[in-house]
Amino acid sequence: MIAVTIAALLILPLIALRRQTLWAYYGVDAATWLLAYLVWLRLPDVFAHHAYLGCVTVAVVKLATFFLFLARGRDVRWSAARAAAIAAIVYAITIPSMIRAPIDGDEPFYLLMTESMLHDADVDLANQYLALERTASGRTDLVPQLGDPTGPSGEQYSRHEPLLPLLMVPGYALGGLFGALATIAFFGVLLVRSTVRWMEDEGVPDGAIRAVFPFFAFAPPVLFYATRIWPEVPAAFFFVEALRGVRAQRMKRWLPAVFGLVMLKLRFILVAAALLATMFLKQRRRPPRALIIAASVLAVPLIVMWLVSGSPTSVHSWGALLPPTQPLAYVRGLFGLLVDGMSGIAFQAPFYLFGLFALTRWRTTPAGFRIGIFASLLYVLYLVPRMEWFGGWAPPLRYIVFLMPVLALGAASVWDRLSRGAIAVVALWMAGLVIHGVAYPWRLFHIANGENAVGEWLSTVYRADFSRLFPSFIRIDDAAWIGAAVAILVVAFGLWRRIDTPVTIAAVSLAIGAGFVYARQPASQVEFEDAHVVREGADLYPEYYTMMRVGHRGGLVLEAGDAVSFLAREGVWTLHYSTGLGALIEIEGRAYELPPAEGYQTAQVVVPRTGRITLRCLRGAVNAERMHR
Amino acid sequence: MLRWALAFAAAAYAAHLAVVHATPIDRSLPLLAVAVTVVAAVSYPSIMLAVPLLLAAEIAIADETARLLAFGAILGTSFAIAIADRRPSRRFDDSATGRLARPTARPILTTVAAIVILRWIPLESVLAGRELFLLAVAVLIVVVLGRTPFSATVAIVTVLVTPAVPLRTLALPIIVLVVAVLARFLGMPSVALVWPSAMVAGFVLLFFAWSGVVARGFPYFLHRAEPHRPAQVVARAVAAGSGVTLDVPEGTAALVVSGANIAGLPRGAPLAQVDPGGIIVRVGDAADWGYMRREHYYGSRNALPANPAGTVRGYGYEAWVDGAGRVPLPRGARAIRVTADSALPAGAALQIERFELRP
Repeated sequence: MIAVTIAALLILPLIALRRQTLWAYYGVDAATWLLAYLVWLRLPDVFAHHAYLGCVTVAVVKLATFFLFLARGRDVRWSAARAAAIAAIVYAITIPSMIRAPIDGDEPFYLLMTESMLHDADVDLANQYLALERTASGRTDLVPQLGDPTGPSGEQYSRHEPLLPLLMVPGYALGGLFGALATIAFFGVLLVRSTVRWMEDEGVPDGAIRAVFPFFAFAPPVLFYATRIWPEVPAAFFFVEALRGVRAQRMKRWLPAVFGLVMLKLRFILVAAALLATMFLKQRRRPPRALIIAASVLAVPLIVMWLVSGSPTSVHSWGALLPPTQPLAYVRGLFGLLVDGMSGIAFQAPFYLFGLFALTRWRTTPAGFRIGIFASLLYVLYLVPRMEWFGGWAPPLRYIVFLMPVLALGAASVWDRLSRGAIAVVALWMAGLVIHGVAYPWRLFHIANGENAVGEWLSTVYRADFSRLFPSFIRIDDAAWIGAAVAILVVAFGLWRRIDTPVTIAAVSLAIGAGFVYARQPASQVEFEDAHVVREGADLYPEYYTMMRVGHRGGLVLEAGDAVSFLAREGVWTLHYSTGLGALIEIEGRAYELPPAEGYQTAQVVVPRTGRITLRCLRGAVNAERMHR
Repeated sequence: MLRWALAFAAAAYAAHLAVVHATPIDRSLPLLAVAVTVVAAVSYPSIMLAVPLLLAAEIAIADETARLLAFGAILGTSFAIAIADRRPSRRFDDSATGRLARPTARPILTTVAAIVILRWIPLESVLAGRELFLLAVAVLIVVVLGRTPFSATVAIVTVLVTPAVPLRTLALPIIVLVVAVLARFLGMPSVALVWPSAMVAGFVLLFFAWSGVVARGFPYFLHRAEPHRPAQVVARAVAAGSGVTLDVPEGTAALVVSGANIAGLPRGAPLAQVDPGGIIVRVGDAADWGYMRREHYYGSRNALPANPAGTVRGYGYEAWVDGAGRVPLPRGARAIRVTADSALPAGAALQIERFELRP
């Protein structure tokens, strides 16, 4: 695989670079190899333990260098087809990294459906569940997902729409799991080509397209969803084609694209409906035939799901169409998508902040961008108040991957107005996200507990609460509202080109330094399940992989003899706990009797000094959720 | 100018906040941040990305060698890019329209920043007068050779290899300056050699954390560092003409030896003989233990052993590698006799350090 990757990295520049730019790139490439070699010479022990990380880092640095030359080189041959060729190569060498760990989330269920279609010509998975040792996913622990439809004769169906598994059948037949993944990657290549063509259609300059291309195609979320089994990237492709068709007023283009979109996932009916409404509202004449066809297209997936599972809405209820009335739910989801540390654009795909910046320049953005935003509004309105707004057990930003080409178009349209320092910082962060996701693909899935990969890791290393630096709208923390305000200000005012590069980078550096110092200080709130809490015994509650764990109150269960330690400030704290049996706990020499009671209770406890504090269970058992001062 | 001044201050303070580890290199993080910001100010502003990268490396990488190498990679790349930048220089107070000014600042400031990083860490070991003199000579070399990437690299390398101890070693950069002046006087054109110059500068700064070793034994970094191996310590010194018999432990890969008071011996001079097998250990297989130390290097005739087994000691320009070298033993030998050469100078000895075992 290393040889294939090296060959791919050597071939890539030949696709788009020419003459002096090509030779300059190869010169830099040679220097990079030399640098990597010299570093390798000095770190035999480190490379023995982190060889894969090292290789991925070198590969990503080389790709980033190539894209820099692609964006700024003078002798560049560029076209949508060349962009697609580059995407094909990069996705092909990324797929093996993704399958270093078993596929997860909804992926194995899609694959089961594909296997059933291929081997049994049906979508009844009952026999598949009985013979899991044969599935190419390697997941012998699969059970039907909660609420999966069943048939009258014991059939077991999947909640998932059948189009994606059907599309994967040829690839799976030829190449098993890799073939199925290649099918998704093929849609990724089509997406890249269509998006580049769309940008050209909308009048975006070539230079901006070449600059934006790697951020869109080879960074989260598109990179990870193009190399894993999810419907999001095929949906994004269909969405782009639908937008192109609407813009060109070509029904032969938008109709099949809309059909493909809604057949992939029922939730995209909201997008299709809004897009068609936008299209028809703009037209002076609204031919009845087109309206009927559009309505039919939206109805077909409902009919298909009814035929497959007995319910047109599968596992969803018609009541889901009634939007929730709690304003906080909307605020939480919207800001969460913007700035959550685990699932927000600002931390998981900051390039798309530039697309949001384009919203502030609405009148000057391309018409395609505006139509794409309008078409997504209804969907976003239904998404944000849901408990699973963050995407559930999936790589980040799952539910808005389809929107990324639109935001990329917006970013490309304002590229010349963007702060170069902001672009540099975003590029650095995105490269880090790619390295992390490719080197540790299993970490793309993060439990919804209010923490994130970076915060958890630093918390574990320094045994201090670094997660509190990152906004969380999954478990709302102090940083959440501050982060939301900062993000809005940055998007509105901080991305302008008039903000100098040194100012931007200096500000980011100060934020890192100040944040580091602050995080190492004792906090005034402790969530016991967080990574910075050092455990002796003590079990997580509820269990790590509990379905919709975010909806449960939880913490750590301490039995007699178990202890936890954490940094805390001196003072009187409120302990939130539950204990059905009662418990006696001790905190730095003071004992507290916790009487048995139903539900969560609170107790006042004293932290006698600032520093590392130990809470020990002396008798009984207690579920300690959190403490705050 | 004001925004760059603020950038310098912010970079330095941010680095100060992020310092976690206690080596002189880590404690010099603010200096590194300012140096790279200076380089960014006179070339590509995006080079300032090196500052948050330095902070991230300090915070995230616990392994000392990996962390210091990460610093080196960041700085080496930054300086290589800056040195390779052939665009006309800009002044600090360039407006957003990119008005260009006199082409003076970049190569000189880049050279000064590189020399400060390479020679002024640790700060407490700096001989102020000599270092300022070297900086002045370096600037003159850059100016005389035409302010090209080649001129910057010549100045950096010349100053790097000048130990400045004893004082007479300051003649080296003066000689280089005189040669440069003569060459230009005789009509030598400005030489750019962009790529080689950038790569040499990058290499030198990659290992800035051990710049003393780069200056006095750079081939050390072209050897693959051996993974940690188990060893059986011997710690015996053998005087001239005498010998010692040692049992060879099971699984021995090599014998590690060095010399005491042999710095004046030339390469190839015999040090000892190992029997059975009649293996002659010479200067070149091992060296004087402290020959690479800055205060001893000028008077030493030793060189880095062919198979170095020494440990890097110290940091920055004070760094050095002890002169231990690996000597292969006769296969299957269960006991060896090591006899120091009788022609060793008075007071000299062969130091048998350890048996290195196979992992």
